[in-house]
Amino acid sequence: MFEQVALPHLDAVYSAALRLTHNTDDAKDLLQDTILRAYRFFDQFTLGTNCRAWLLTILYNNFRNNCRRTREQLSPTTEQFDRQAETHSLVDDPPLRNPEELIATRMAARQFEAVLKSLPPEFREVLVLVDVQELNYQEIADVLDIPLGTVKSRVSRARAMMRRAMLKVAVSRGKTGS
Amino acid sequence: MAGRFLAQWVRRKRYFLLATAMDCREYVDKLVSAHADGALTPRERRLAESHLGTCPACRTRLAEERSLKVLVRQHANIVKVPAEVRLRIRAAIGEMADPSFIGRNSTPHTQDSSPRFLWPARQTRVWAPIAAAAALLLFLAVYSGRSGTPGPAAQFHPVPVFDLAIAKYDSLARDFVPNVPSDRNGSDFAWVMDREGARPDAGMREDIERSYSEANMPDDLFNFEPAGYRLGGGRLDHLADGRPVTYTLYRGRGDAILDIDLKDPQMSAPMGAVYWIGMRSFYQYKDYSFCLTFSQPGHFVSITLTRAPLTELIRDVAMADALTTGDER
Repeated sequence: MFEQVALPHLDAVYSAALRLTHNTDDAKDLLQDTILRAYRFFDQFTLGTNCRAWLLTILYNNFRNNCRRTREQLSPTTEQFDRQAETHSLVDDPPLRNPEELIATRMAARQFEAVLKSLPPEFREVLVLVDVQELNYQEIADVLDIPLGTVKSRVSRARAMMRRAMLKVAVSRGKTGS
Repeated sequence: MAGRFLAQWVRRKRYFLLATAMDCREYVDKLVSAHADGALTPRERRLAESHLGTCPACRTRLAEERSLKVLVRQHANIVKVPAEVRLRIRAAIGEMADPSFIGRNSTPHTQDSSPRFLWPARQTRVWAPIAAAAALLLFLAVYSGRSGTPGPAAQFHPVPVFDLAIAKYDSLARDFVPNVPSDRNGSDFAWVMDREGARPDAGMREDIERSYSEANMPDDLFNFEPAGYRLGGGRLDHLADGRPVTYTLYRGRGDAILDIDLKDPQMSAPMGAVYWIGMRSFYQYKDYSFCLTFSQPGHFVSITLTRAPLTELIRDVAMADALTTGDER
């Protein structure tokens, strides 16, 4: 049962481990610890609920508890943005051109990856969890152990940051003609 | 009556005003991302949709949010777990499922306990293979250093069955059609398969195994997925002398593995094998790597070949065998 329910999510959990650790060996260790812990406590999982979210919760707990590096403090940038959320509105951000064009623009994968990497890690995490891992906001709140409101705010701000970064790329491409 | 009509009109107008009271700032700052993610409460959704009904700019903004979601998903890919890691996890789960596991670890199972005896010290990050795997690794390390020339018998003596297998490999690896009758005037063994491979592998695998079983042919397919090969399909044919034969193709890593199963009680292993695992013997013949397997029940012979290096075939077969052993627990 565990193999049928949990192991199909192995790649997704490994991807999350890689994003957390930025190191293949650490990611493998983290993945294995996570899966074995999940196997050991599989009786605590409620069948029919989102197993990927459950595994990612274990992964993030493992990472927070067992990470050998100094536990990362909330980056100043994240604090700044969280404070800005109280005062700065996104409504004045310029539009990004035709939305369909966004996808068809063929922004180079490397450029987009750079844009994604430019986000503070806590903002990048929520974006990946909602758009790639396809978790809902409550599941993300559980995985990251943050309030639901913070998830909403960070998703909104992360996309706003992506928009601004992509606008800069588009403007520079326009200037150089590339 | 006029008063009641007026009161109703005022209520409707008030509701309308409240619904559209949400301005663009509120929608963009508070709702648009959640709207794109399907995370609005029913009340928020009513307010949002009412606002969008009169605001093309916010409709565009919502479309942009959705496009950004697509872009993130397109570019932030899921990374596949390395095959050896997947294999080790399965092996470890298999160990934990073994009832005798309970007696091995004398410490009680706590929240933070883990099967330490399975894992090396974190500092070393060296995986301790089982004895057979250690021998395999040693062989691969030694064999990889060789020039790759085949063994003396395979090099100097033709092996007709290998030549036939090579001809079939060249043909089927180029153009494998699993869903057609036998070459010989139709077959009784047509089965439903998805030619494009869109069906999940598990379903395809079961279909092939069932069809093979119904034809009294070996139905234990290799699982080469950890090695990066996906099941491409199965085919049931007949040899020139009428004997049934199965062809199972696996594709991946820019290459293909063909597994041919037939009944041949007379066949014996050719000279020149360079490695053995149980009933399997491995050969380098011309530019192809071979694995020959004899199964006593039914006197079937399995010929597995690929153009990939022999060391890879040995490793991939060993991994597939280990998975089968784990699944059977």
